[in-house]
Amino acid sequence: MKYEITDDETGPTLMLRDQLTFADREVFDNVIDKLLARQRRVVAVDLSALDYMDSAGLGMLLTLRDRAERVGADVVLRRPRSEVRELLVLACFDTLFKIEHG
Amino acid sequence: MADSGAQKSRPIRCLVVDDERMNREVVIANLRAAGYETVAAEDGQQAWLTANAAPDDFDVILLDRRMPRMDGMELLAKLKGDDRLRHIPVIMQTAQASAEDVVEGIKAGVYYYLAKPLDRKLLLSVTAAAIEEHQRFLRLRDDVARRTTAIILMDEGVFRFRTLAEANNLAVSLARACPRSSHLVVGLSEIFTNAIEHGNLGITFEEKAQLLAEKRWRKQVDALLDAPQNRDKRVTVTFRRLACEVRITVRDEGKGFDWRRYMELDQARAFAVHGRGIAMARQLSFDSLEYQDPGNQVTCVIRVGDGDLAGQPCGALSVAEEAPRSAAVAALAGAAPAAANDEMAVARSMQAELLPPQAELAWLARRYGVHVTGFFETSCSLGGDIWGLDPLDDHRFILWLADFSGHGVTAALNTFRLHTLLEHTTEDRDRPAVFLSELNQRLIGLLPKGQYATMLYGVVDVRERRFTYAAAAAPRPVVAIPGQPAVPGDGSGLPLGVARSALYVERSLDLPPGSVLFLASDALPESPSETGKKLGQGGVADLVAEVVSARAGQVDVDAILAPFLATVARPLRDDLTAVCCRMAD
Repeated sequence: MKYEITDDETGPTLMLRDQLTFADREVFDNVIDKLLARQRRVVAVDLSALDYMDSAGLGMLLTLRDRAERVGADVVLRRPRSEVRELLVLACFDTLFKIEHG
Repeated sequence: MADSGAQKSRPIRCLVVDDERMNREVVIANLRAAGYETVAAEDGQQAWLTANAAPDDFDVILLDRRMPRMDGMELLAKLKGDDRLRHIPVIMQTAQASAEDVVEGIKAGVYYYLAKPLDRKLLLSVTAAAIEEHQRFLRLRDDVARRTTAIILMDEGVFRFRTLAEANNLAVSLARACPRSSHLVVGLSEIFTNAIEHGNLGITFEEKAQLLAEKRWRKQVDALLDAPQNRDKRVTVTFRRLACEVRITVRDEGKGFDWRRYMELDQARAFAVHGRGIAMARQLSFDSLEYQDPGNQVTCVIRVGDGDLAGQPCGALSVAEEAPRSAAVAALAGAAPAAANDEMAVARSMQAELLPPQAELAWLARRYGVHVTGFFETSCSLGGDIWGLDPLDDHRFILWLADFSGHGVTAALNTFRLHTLLEHTTEDRDRPAVFLSELNQRLIGLLPKGQYATMLYGVVDVRERRFTYAAAAAPRPVVAIPGQPAVPGDGSGLPLGVARSALYVERSLDLPPGSVLFLASDALPESPSETGKKLGQGGVADLVAEVVSARAGQVDVDAILAPFLATVARPLRDDLTAVCCRMAD
């Protein structure tokens, strides 16, 4: 997994690249810390450059959601593509997250 | 109940420590019903005072992890730090066992980790195993205490033995020659036994687990010892007393084993109900174990404590002594690979026992005319997948497959949890969507955050020729008939254990005569072949259709998976489970 965090007036955006898999758990935990440290109401995750995510990746998004909820923040998933999009559909993540396509 | 040779006068007694009265009483009632005496303590502080006042009074301690005043971990540390108490096995109970908690507990010397709510059967079998180990320890300790011999004066010696009886005898004698001998004897006896059975006799760890399960172990060892190819094999033990430590080196005539592979598996001890002696020995006995390639030689190091040879220089002497042959030596503080692996084998066989046995599948074929075959291969030593089936009535049975997030011990713990849950959930089993919703509610309380399961749960109705199912983010079920494209189902749905409000949808697939219903975990569509290609959901349906057409009435799960397994690298990156149900023509 590669990532960068950018900030604008709506809040931080986490841009994920390549893959999000079991191997990224620890890094992702730190990333969540960084995102939530900004204390904004909305945290966005841009998935447009993410090629692949496994079931552990879903778990990491759930962890992000849980932790954001605890500090009163919403998580928005943006522009998932192909396989990642299919996986989010399979897991009905649209009922848990706001997902912005397009 | 077997009395220990050491303490014939005393009944078996358990110390139960929990701050919640209800919990304490439930445990006590169960233990008393099993014939044990119990003593209760309301927190760690009280437990510590009780154990301290009568260190020889207890065979096992059942300990709640979270308590006021002195919590479970704190008490555990105190117990393990006390020479009079450290040998008493401690069973830790906790409502919220994260993997980290379990590992932390095991490292601190927990004998077994029990998740709340309490599973009565598991509580009793774990307690019985812990008591048995402790009684064995007491017997051996007693033997050591009785043996008064000049061996205590020995500085160097070479011994050879062949049988298990000789091994135990020597363990008692050599332990007597060392400091902390009562703790040492169990460890030596385990290492010596390993040298015979795994070394000289070549019994694999899996075979041993199997033999133990069938209660044939001792008999098989005796038979192999008498076989012509083994009759002359011996285990050689050298004993050396150095300035600051005693080194006992054990060499067998076997081929050795790849001990490095087993260095990190000690988490698996969380599972082993039996064969815990080695784990206990490792914690109690040696300061380090040093394996040497190819793995048929190990040196047990026992440091000589302050009181024994105070003031003598340590280190230099032993390093010089050992230098010439130490190229491949690794000092493994407190780790016994053979032990970890033994228990891993037991854990694996326990997990395999959760899956439907052959006999049940054969019975199913006779009763419903459905030929069911299953496949289960893990990426680590333990898997996060599980599948099962259960009859409902004369024309319907349930069939399910679940996959927990993650791999290894954490995920495997969850498969045990799910199995228990399913056994205790008897309502609405024939209504897949309702059943999954209920299961989800229950799992939410049990699964730590960030862990979840995907699952496909359905009812096969052979009279209506239909599979009615509900799915929680599972790969699609597939139905195939020879000569036709496969019909995929829909696996979408919220994963289990994520949202309390999750609702599931009931769906169905027709099962015409001669059709095949195929379920698999996501390792099948997701695992890349050696050339980097993945089957994907569509690829799985095509694969099933192809094999079903080619094999017609003979298809089973192995035939369907064979083309996939031929292209994918082993070990698999993820646990793979698959089930194939072939309907009667």
